[in-house]
Amino acid sequence: MGGAPGFTVTVEWTQAITDLYDWSTTMYLVLCSATDTSGLWTYEGLKHLGVAPLELVLAESLGQPATRWEHRLDRKGAHIKFAPPDGRVLCGSRIRGAINRLPGPPPAIALQAADSDREYAQAELQAFYLSWLNALPGVVLNRPAPSGLCGAWHHASEWAMLAGRAGLPVRPYRQSASDAPEQFYMPQAPEGVVACRFIAFAGAVFGGELYGVQLPEPVVQACGRLAQEAKAQVMGIDLYLDGDGPEGRWSYAGATPSPDLRIGGMPLLRRMAKELTEGGRA
Amino acid sequence: MILVCGIPSETPLRMVTDRLKAMDAEFVIFNQRETANCDMWFAIDGGVLTGELRLGERVCQLEEFTGIYPRLMDDRALPELDDEPEGSPARRHCRGFHDTLMRWIELSPAMVINRCAPMASNSSKPYQGQLIRKLGFLTPETLMTNDPDLVRSFRAQHGRVIYKSASAVRSIVQELTDDDDERLDRIRWCPTQFQAFVEGTNVRVHTIGDEAFATAIRSEATDYRYAARQAGEAAQLREVTLAPELKERCLALSRSLGLEFAGIDLKITPEDEIYCFEVNPSPAFSYYEGNTEQEISAAVARRLMAGISVAAVA
Repeated sequence: MGGAPGFTVTVEWTQAITDLYDWSTTMYLVLCSATDTSGLWTYEGLKHLGVAPLELVLAESLGQPATRWEHRLDRKGAHIKFAPPDGRVLCGSRIRGAINRLPGPPPAIALQAADSDREYAQAELQAFYLSWLNALPGVVLNRPAPSGLCGAWHHASEWAMLAGRAGLPVRPYRQSASDAPEQFYMPQAPEGVVACRFIAFAGAVFGGELYGVQLPEPVVQACGRLAQEAKAQVMGIDLYLDGDGPEGRWSYAGATPSPDLRIGGMPLLRRMAKELTEGGRA
Repeated sequence: MILVCGIPSETPLRMVTDRLKAMDAEFVIFNQRETANCDMWFAIDGGVLTGELRLGERVCQLEEFTGIYPRLMDDRALPELDDEPEGSPARRHCRGFHDTLMRWIELSPAMVINRCAPMASNSSKPYQGQLIRKLGFLTPETLMTNDPDLVRSFRAQHGRVIYKSASAVRSIVQELTDDDDERLDRIRWCPTQFQAFVEGTNVRVHTIGDEAFATAIRSEATDYRYAARQAGEAAQLREVTLAPELKERCLALSRSLGLEFAGIDLKITPEDEIYCFEVNPSPAFSYYEGNTEQEISAAVARRLMAGISVAAVA
């Protein structure tokens, strides 16, 4: 029995797929952890907005040994199919878009390895996850990168350089051999100043309503350039107001490829829904 | 000024520094084993990168460096730290120094062979395989799975199948045999990489800048790096010339991955199909240079020196 076009599957797997789905339909995924409230909110929100069929795939279920994986590279390209223990069979050939918030392979898997093999098992799982996530077709927010499964991760020094290049004011950055590594995870805002997190997505910045502010257009454009430079489709950017009144400048304080999407509220969700359902058609 | 980082006696590093000496290049070596006597800082202000590197008594301005060759071993495993407990001042300094050095190298406008970020595609061979395919190379039929039955059908379909690590952790490529069947259940926890065996001649292509050095390898072993162990006879290496189109494709592949220097593993089948297995971003080229006298280290040195003239003009 054949499977999806260009994708050979076993009879058992094929039966499971055809039992559950009509081949003519497509699907969207939200990949996140069961503790990722932002990811779960995004799933509920997209479902409410009519993105369908929408499948929630939890990292914890992917970490079960009962989850079956089939990831192939052949002359036609890269393919992924997996079957979590709940009975679903998810096939890349039918996926049209995904919200990817998987920070890494579930640690529980590598913990099954003997002490001497644990580091190797972790590296193998990371390599596998990077490859299968990259094989997802359609619009993937965010696409994986070698430095981060849910988008390219950058060190504070790189973010500072990228933010400056994008046109955001950045405080001088300094690093020396005697600095504690933890300090490079601290916000770049001056001590005592609270930064606001915004979400840059599709050339727009979301989250201003939360703080009752409207970012000036040049700042919005700079945030868009930063996301582009960082090759992140969606990213969180922390800004603080340097100075009071009209003289105040929105300045860079930090960035992340996996922000809390709730900051962007419904306007962000609507834009994501549109991108997921229409973005892959171009 | 060129900065070379690593253990000076390590063969590839020594070969490059010998070439730099022969070419009268101005260079300094950061010897990892003397980290305790080194210090550094860097700063970014207004988009300008500045800083200082102290190697023993010598202090260099970071802006002086126009070429960098980092070939660093894991600093946590340096013999000098063997007796140091976790979190000791010596360990903290060593980690802090290496982190600062690596962060600066990622940002430096110098000719860096190679930066960490582009090297990272090699951390997942099937991921890198997807990038390689975009450049028009064939890649071996690959199955990553935790389902033993799929592996059995894959083997039945292809006949000869090998398995190897998917990550950058080095493994010996092995052929899947009947004896492995009982062990296949062990893959349940961790999807494992299997590939259809490709018949043909192994060719390693080292690309550096616009230069390419091709070496053909004759061996009966599944993994020619371990030919003596697997086939009872060492592999035979000889220099070969690439067709111009293939050379260009190799150079384009390295460029597309952002690598100044790469070791590309090809296999040319009897039908003249070209498979690419992987692109190694930190190739131990000395094995090939030692066997064929191809001047790969000289090309690395030239590329490092080219950074000088580029920066001097800028």
